[in-house]
Amino acid sequence: MVGHGWETVIGLETHVQLGTVSKMFCGCSTAFGAPPNTNICPVCVGLPGALPVPNEQAVKLAVRAALALGCTVHAKSVFARKNYFYPDLPKGYQISQFDHPLATLGGLEFLSPDRGVVRATIERLHLEEDAGKSLHDRIPKATAVDLNRAGLPLVEIVTGADFRSPAEARAYLQTLKQVLEYIGVSDCDMEKGSLRVDANVSVRRAGAEALGVKTEVKNINSFAYVEKALTVERDRQVGVLEAGGGVTQETMLYDSKENAVRPQRSKEQSHDYRYFPEPDLPPLVLAPSWVEEQRQLLPELPGAKRERFVAQYGLVAQDAAVLTHSRAVADYFEGVVHAGAEPKAAANWVMGEALANAKDHGEELRVPAASLAQLIALVKGGTVSHQAAKRVFGELATRGGDPRTIAESLGLIQVADTNVLGGWVTEVVNANAAEVGRYRAGETKLMAFFVGQVMKVSRGKADPKLVQKVLAEKLAG
Amino acid sequence: MSVTPDDVARIAQLAELHLDQEEMPALVGQMSRILDYVAQLGQVQVGEGAKPFVLGPDAIRCRPDEVKPWPLAFGPSEFAPVFKSGFFVVPRLGQFGDEGSDE
Amino acid sequence: MSDGTDIVAAARAVATRIGKAKRLNAVLTSPAELRKSLLQQSKTVHPSGVLYGMAVAVKDNICTLEFPTTCGSKILEGYESPYEATVVARLKAAGALIAGKTNCDEFAMGSSTEHSAWGRTLHPTDKTRVPGGSSGGSAAIVAAGAVTAALGSETGGSVRQPASFCGVVGIKPTYGRVSRYGLVAFGSSLDQIGVLGRSVHDAARVLSVISGRDPKDSTCEDRDPLRLPTVPENLQGFVIGVPKEYFPADLDPGVRRACERAIRTLRELGASVREVSLPHTQYAVPTYYIVAPAEASSNLARFDGVRYGPRFDGAADVRALYRATRGEGFGEEVRRRIMVGTYVLSSGYYDAYYRKAQQVRALIAQDFRNAFDRGVDLLFTPTTPTTAFKAGEKLADPVAMYLADIFVCPANLAGLPAMSLPVGRVKGLPVGGQLIGQAFLEDEMLEAAYALERAVPGTAEA
Repeated sequence: MVGHGWETVIGLETHVQLGTVSKMFCGCSTAFGAPPNTNICPVCVGLPGALPVPNEQAVKLAVRAALALGCTVHAKSVFARKNYFYPDLPKGYQISQFDHPLATLGGLEFLSPDRGVVRATIERLHLEEDAGKSLHDRIPKATAVDLNRAGLPLVEIVTGADFRSPAEARAYLQTLKQVLEYIGVSDCDMEKGSLRVDANVSVRRAGAEALGVKTEVKNINSFAYVEKALTVERDRQVGVLEAGGGVTQETMLYDSKENAVRPQRSKEQSHDYRYFPEPDLPPLVLAPSWVEEQRQLLPELPGAKRERFVAQYGLVAQDAAVLTHSRAVADYFEGVVHAGAEPKAAANWVMGEALANAKDHGEELRVPAASLAQLIALVKGGTVSHQAAKRVFGELATRGGDPRTIAESLGLIQVADTNVLGGWVTEVVNANAAEVGRYRAGETKLMAFFVGQVMKVSRGKADPKLVQKVLAEKLAG
Repeated sequence: MSVTPDDVARIAQLAELHLDQEEMPALVGQMSRILDYVAQLGQVQVGEGAKPFVLGPDAIRCRPDEVKPWPLAFGPSEFAPVFKSGFFVVPRLGQFGDEGSDE
Repeated sequence: MSDGTDIVAAARAVATRIGKAKRLNAVLTSPAELRKSLLQQSKTVHPSGVLYGMAVAVKDNICTLEFPTTCGSKILEGYESPYEATVVARLKAAGALIAGKTNCDEFAMGSSTEHSAWGRTLHPTDKTRVPGGSSGGSAAIVAAGAVTAALGSETGGSVRQPASFCGVVGIKPTYGRVSRYGLVAFGSSLDQIGVLGRSVHDAARVLSVISGRDPKDSTCEDRDPLRLPTVPENLQGFVIGVPKEYFPADLDPGVRRACERAIRTLRELGASVREVSLPHTQYAVPTYYIVAPAEASSNLARFDGVRYGPRFDGAADVRALYRATRGEGFGEEVRRRIMVGTYVLSSGYYDAYYRKAQQVRALIAQDFRNAFDRGVDLLFTPTTPTTAFKAGEKLADPVAMYLADIFVCPANLAGLPAMSLPVGRVKGLPVGGQLIGQAFLEDEMLEAAYALERAVPGTAEA
């Protein structure tokens, strides 16, 4: 519903929770789902006299994220206080980074649905702590505050105004999630709140150089809503401008139920955060050799892995993309190959049975790679048919065990004994004299019929390829 | 340089401090006095790129990532002014409206 | 002290002595509550600690489990901290008895202990005068002889200045020497816990116990606890600098006499004394009164009635709750400082005020470094420009009160160790002489203090 001649300009600010076991500035647990206000201590409750002590793993993960996003990691960065009042902000300030962030000037390539490969600029990546949660509906006329989340370690990742459509913004986010998941920095789960997005949106006449007035869009709670919210806001701005009005710089909140945006009720004044360097924390100093070590320790990133799968395993790009979508699947696929399976077969089984099964079981790849490789070998060797192997796979996923043993117990081992096969073939040939005649007269298509009959008589146990051979010999005369 | 009542009102809002109107004149006077006094630092030459003074260790020493919270002898049910069903309770947000915690 | 009965008797005796000094309003803990706690403590105190049985009072802005922590403020009335400060844990581990909480200017903001919500503390020997502040309660109760030592805190001289007014010893360590975990923050880049004592040795022993690395405080240096020096025979080889800016023409003549006598004593002890200059001294107080309020405005934002402390009720919404709680809970001086602090950090003013002040601070610190680099080991100055002033005298003009800190706040800005010890009296009122040492060289400062204390007639009229 975009008016013609308008260009959308979007920038994104993402908050990603780092996958540590303890909080950013204290030793409280980060475990999700704990009863309210149980993962707390003097520091994260903001008790008088408490002091922050940074988490080394949070720093490490933030540095890895910065490196994976091609940023310059600064040897010295400084924590700063961002001062404002809110019920779930215990100290009345958030410890973040301002003038001297951890990292700046990186980029992330992603596949835009509109323009091919696009490189989003990462302007900055910095460390900060999360606030708690305010629940407005629990208690009438009141707000309930849970500080379990207060102090969780976050990185804030800010892009330039690089996206030209809501779909593009979403694609970037999905790539960002993939990269961060790959390097083990975060699970980037919008439902759990480990990834949050705020967007800046403006529009301008196509071809214009100057940027339009931008609004900030908040309260977007899923990847799908990212696209919807930005679409709604873009359309709203175009509507305003086409009607001759002007866009006001303000914060808009997305309402997913109505699929609409509305202005955040205006505050008396815009925030003056009064940033100043955090006096309770010395500067964060990182040895260049240590940073380099983190770079070396980065696992292969999705793009590089995709290319390698094509080159090394002879896969088509599309299959490689599916198999590298998540690190877990990619590692699994390679596990199956390393256990002896032929890559193409491994790819088909992983993309097919394994992923289908995982989807119904919380994304868990339940059949060990070695077992799947053995199963694939059984099919290749003709011991079980492909169909039978799917049944075996199902058993392996539910109950585990050994593929051959399962196949045997289910009676799925294909018969390859030519004597036995010969017996069944003879039985079928004798029972279908008319068709034999027709076949010998030239209707070679009937081979499929004969194979089917043998399979019936053998109750599926005959190896169809061998059956065909034996039939061909027998029918030839 | 002096502060005006408007300045003082704005600062009081930022600092979330209620001020009675009767206190205003005295406070405006006192703040002006203090700010005039400290403004003499404007005369001091500090030189280009003078670094702000920072005390304490030269660099952060991080702690290992482990679940070892500093001890609390008792929980919020005992120290919080209003605590119900495991939550700190405050009056409804009112003017805060639907602002989220800023990030 | 090694057997059980002694400790119980000691506990009772402390409670009695503090009870007798009640009129000073120095200790906030009621005599009954204190007696009960001390007797309870006497059962669990560590018998082999170096401070076994020593009664140490604790300033009310340091968190304790035994007694409430109110920081002299209504906004924390009745607040019982669910954790204790590192320094308090260390005192207890060393066998000390925690002898109640002492009165202070609200949130340590003041130089007279007149700004406490719980009433002013009286000067120990002249009830019309102030004991100094903000650690006035600690200084007064030590001066009254009720406890051996007391913890105080410094942001801009709040241990040394009351020590000087009350005629006791007050030591501020190097910034980062003592953990701040559990010290309710005022000016984080300035705050240090200090010790007041009847003698240099009493104060130093306590300082030694509470000092040293603490993983709970990122600004606490990774160093062993302070090792106490032995008392030197003399001060041969010591070079003492006397900064001329600390002896202005209008210095109180009695203070001047007492300090000059102390300087003569230092010479007699064998130290070589020379004049030095710290040219940026005049900017110390204005610098301090930008940096400290700025940091305070942020540190005190957590006091909002939400998670702890009293809530000032009837609030219709959260913002009203904040404003009522903070408006009513904070006293005048605190509100003033929060306002100034918020102003100097606010958009458009940050560079000219806070950032500039931090840059000037570097110059002040450099002055000290220059003096020390030129071969001076320690500096000697008056601690305060006058003896204890009258209650009410400096309340009309906030800046007048600030100027009381003129000789003490530079050491806070520079993070240097400094101490005050009695060097004489003027019309019966104590005069403090100040030693300022080099960073982390408290031992040299203490050596000079030991010698001076022994030789100077600290209670004699100057």
